[in-house]
Amino acid sequence: MRYEFRVAGDVSEPVGGAFPELDRARVPDQTLFFGTVTDEAHLYQVLMRFQSLGLHVLEMRQLPQETRQEES
Amino acid sequence: MIITNPLVPLMHDPVASDPPGLPEDRNVPLTGEPLLEVRFAVPAAPKAFVRRPALAARVTEGVRGPLTLVSGAAGAGKTALMGDWARSGSVPRAIAWVTAEPRDTPELFWAHALEALRRTGVRLRPEVPAPARGHGVDGSFLTRVAAALAARAEPTVLVVDQFDGLAAGGIADGLHFVLAHANGRLRLVLTSRTDPLMPLHRYRASGDITEIRNADLVFTAAEAGELLRVHGLDVSPACVELLVQRTGGWAAGVRLCALAMQRSHDPEAFVREFDADRTAVADYLIAEVLNAQPPATQDLLLRSCVTDRVLPDLADALTGRQDAGWTLARLAGANAFLERIDGAGCSGGAWYRFHPLFAEVLRAHLRYQHPGLEPRLRGRAARWLAEAGHVDDAVAQAAAAGDWLFAAASVIDDLAIARVADGWQTSAFARMPADLPDAACALVTAACRLAAGDIDGCAAGLRRADAGLTDSADPRLLLGRAVLGMLVGRRTGDPAVGDQAARAEDLLRRVPQRLREQHVTAVVSVGLGAAELAAGHLDPAEAGLQAAVAACGCPYAEAPLCDALGCLALVELLRGRLREAEARASEALAKARRSAVRGPPTGLGHVVLAAVAAERDDLETARAELGTAHASARPPVEPLVAVQAAVVGARLATAAGDWEEALALLHGAELSLRTAFLSDWEVDELAIAKSVAHLAQGDADAALAVLGPAPAGRPEHTVAEARALLAVGSGERALALLAGLGDDRSSTAACLAEARLLQAEAAAASGSPCEAERRLRQALELARPERLRRVFVEHGGPWLRQFLRQDPQLARAHAWLPERAVGSPPLGARERTPTPITPLSDRERDVLVQAAQLSSNEEIAAALYVSANTVKTHLTSIYRKLGVSRRRDAVRKARDLGIL
Repeated sequence: MRYEFRVAGDVSEPVGGAFPELDRARVPDQTLFFGTVTDEAHLYQVLMRFQSLGLHVLEMRQLPQETRQEES
Repeated sequence: MIITNPLVPLMHDPVASDPPGLPEDRNVPLTGEPLLEVRFAVPAAPKAFVRRPALAARVTEGVRGPLTLVSGAAGAGKTALMGDWARSGSVPRAIAWVTAEPRDTPELFWAHALEALRRTGVRLRPEVPAPARGHGVDGSFLTRVAAALAARAEPTVLVVDQFDGLAAGGIADGLHFVLAHANGRLRLVLTSRTDPLMPLHRYRASGDITEIRNADLVFTAAEAGELLRVHGLDVSPACVELLVQRTGGWAAGVRLCALAMQRSHDPEAFVREFDADRTAVADYLIAEVLNAQPPATQDLLLRSCVTDRVLPDLADALTGRQDAGWTLARLAGANAFLERIDGAGCSGGAWYRFHPLFAEVLRAHLRYQHPGLEPRLRGRAARWLAEAGHVDDAVAQAAAAGDWLFAAASVIDDLAIARVADGWQTSAFARMPADLPDAACALVTAACRLAAGDIDGCAAGLRRADAGLTDSADPRLLLGRAVLGMLVGRRTGDPAVGDQAARAEDLLRRVPQRLREQHVTAVVSVGLGAAELAAGHLDPAEAGLQAAVAACGCPYAEAPLCDALGCLALVELLRGRLREAEARASEALAKARRSAVRGPPTGLGHVVLAAVAAERDDLETARAELGTAHASARPPVEPLVAVQAAVVGARLATAAGDWEEALALLHGAELSLRTAFLSDWEVDELAIAKSVAHLAQGDADAALAVLGPAPAGRPEHTVAEARALLAVGSGERALALLAGLGDDRSSTAACLAEARLLQAEAAAASGSPCEAERRLRQALELARPERLRRVFVEHGGPWLRQFLRQDPQLARAHAWLPERAVGSPPLGARERTPTPITPLSDRERDVLVQAAQLSSNEEIAAALYVSANTVKTHLTSIYRKLGVSRRRDAVRKARDLGIL
């Protein structure tokens, strides 16, 4: 399953690096983390990691499965 | 008010005036894990700190009720608030403080919570009985905790700090249970980053919870302004307002900001810059604080964050410099999210710990700035920790670094392999590849598999270890191998278990003395005793096991201690000394209960108690104990225990008249033990139990056939054979066998009593009442000291009842005999408790007669020409007079009383 997490503020490279399994994109005043999450256990672990790094999750949603068309 | 002063190492027990009763509490280590003193200390206040009296007052208000929850983001000031509250003496009673850790299992958590409670004078009462399920923290344990709290005159406040991440694993359930059953004597305060998995809505609905949440914890402008002032910063109100806005009132944010501002030439400009920047708050501020430090300090912080506890000497080892002690003291003094812990629980004087948020971000920076350095640092830390004797931490670090060779070698070198087999550090080794070509790794894998009950996996690990081991290998490796061989041999019933134990004992002499005085010695000596026991050599078994108990005075030795006591209980049982057996078994279970950590095997203790109860014809207790034994068993069950459990189970089933069940139980046990090596006496025990079941079935031939040839020196077998012979009508042969049974030491009282009873029965049957009476008196004298009621129930019968009726004096002298055996007064007088009742009126009787025919109220009304309401009134009156609440019970009771 693919997920997107919307986090308040820009996230620096070192702290962003704590989520090697997720891609990152900057939007104004926010950072998007997105990518494949293995299962629920992984999902909650990601949320805990945001919390333990003092990052504030504004929004989280499941993304449609990636298809060839979207990639191209 | 008892507060543990964080600055004084807690070497003394703060509750000096304990009630006497459990003096051994002091010298028996509570758990199998070191209890880090710092976990019971109220954290010291940060150097620059703003008190928040309004929030503290809400906590004081909160502890008037059962539950207070302080929840908020990391760094919201939860711990600071609770620490200040606990130190302020707002409540005039003891406060138990325990800091939870994310890796706490329920067992570890409760071990620490219990210790915290113990320090405020709460005593567990081991005698509180309750059914146990599973092992470790079970219903029985929680019930005892609740009972101990409920017994206190004053409520106890328990603060569980950093309850985050403990939601899983049933800890929250346990707290909820204790809270509900402590009769209002527990006032629980939780601080957590996430809401605990307790039914909070229910607490809210009943008004039993006080919540202080993130929104309550945020700093107001006034508080933020004061915090800046205590940091020596004087800034304009507008600037403070801006800061509160940017950080959202987040306490750690304001504090981090204060730290950064102290180093800034223009604090107001810093805040404006911070406000203009769009980086996440914590991210920005920690980077600022870090960057404000000199390069050497930055390096120290980054390198030392790999360990939970920052020890100055270890930090020096990680940086290769000598400045850690001084730098860390300076940072802690400057309140840079580093807390100084003085000496408590750690050998090397002061140590430090980071604020969790700070540590996480530091680790992120470490990984970014020095990719690949973290595992190397952890490896280095592991070696330093192992050298310094902190094996737990060393193994954890090596495992986190993926340095399996070192992690496994640490276990082997510390002779701690048996602890792994008890479940210690198995989660750290969970990710270790199973095929590393290293004997130590193979042994650790085998131990982990054994802890998981996977005997085949354990054997595979041992085979891989053997492939890499020669006789010239390090004695510690060979010792590890022998100890595991012994442990797995006991679980499978390997006949070579004694050899393995002897080899382990031999190898112990080849390791350094310092290592020898440890857990491993205790484990080996229990193994030696248990091997003798399995072979049926009771005297050497007893001597060995007593030596083992004496060797169990060292740390972590609770599991072998419970094991040894359980085996000793079985020795006493086999000797027919029921009282001693009961005492030993109870002692084993008490020790196991006091240790909340998973491990101590309790199955044998419960089986022995069941067997003792069965001999005394206390079938209810026997069934309960056997049930507990089965529930707490971790498969595969040691054959020694499995045989006893099957024999007791069969005896109970036979006593209940269910010989099919008894035979099925015994067949099942034989089937599951078919690959195990059973010694002669164990095979014989099973055969005797079968024979008894066949006799109950009425199949005397089968009872005789199943016994097989007699193993040497088993009077129990002789008696069983005689019993079967009597049943098939070969009385003479039976008597010849019994006559050969001397009163020598090898026969237990139960066995001899049974023999004398059989002789009495045969004499009575052949018309020799004098001989019968003589034998009966012998049997009674033999059975009296231990109250061996079972034999009289099994062999009693009309002849016995007749004797006792003719000789009331004898019956009175042995009033301990069970009624079932003695013969009882007419049924009516005994079982029907004559409750004096108000006689039913004629009309009520009519109603009841109808009700007994299963008529409905309407049908009764129609039959008696009254209204349905009148019928109801009559019925209510009938229920009241008969003391019942349902129609069916009323009919039954009326029949019993002869009214119907």
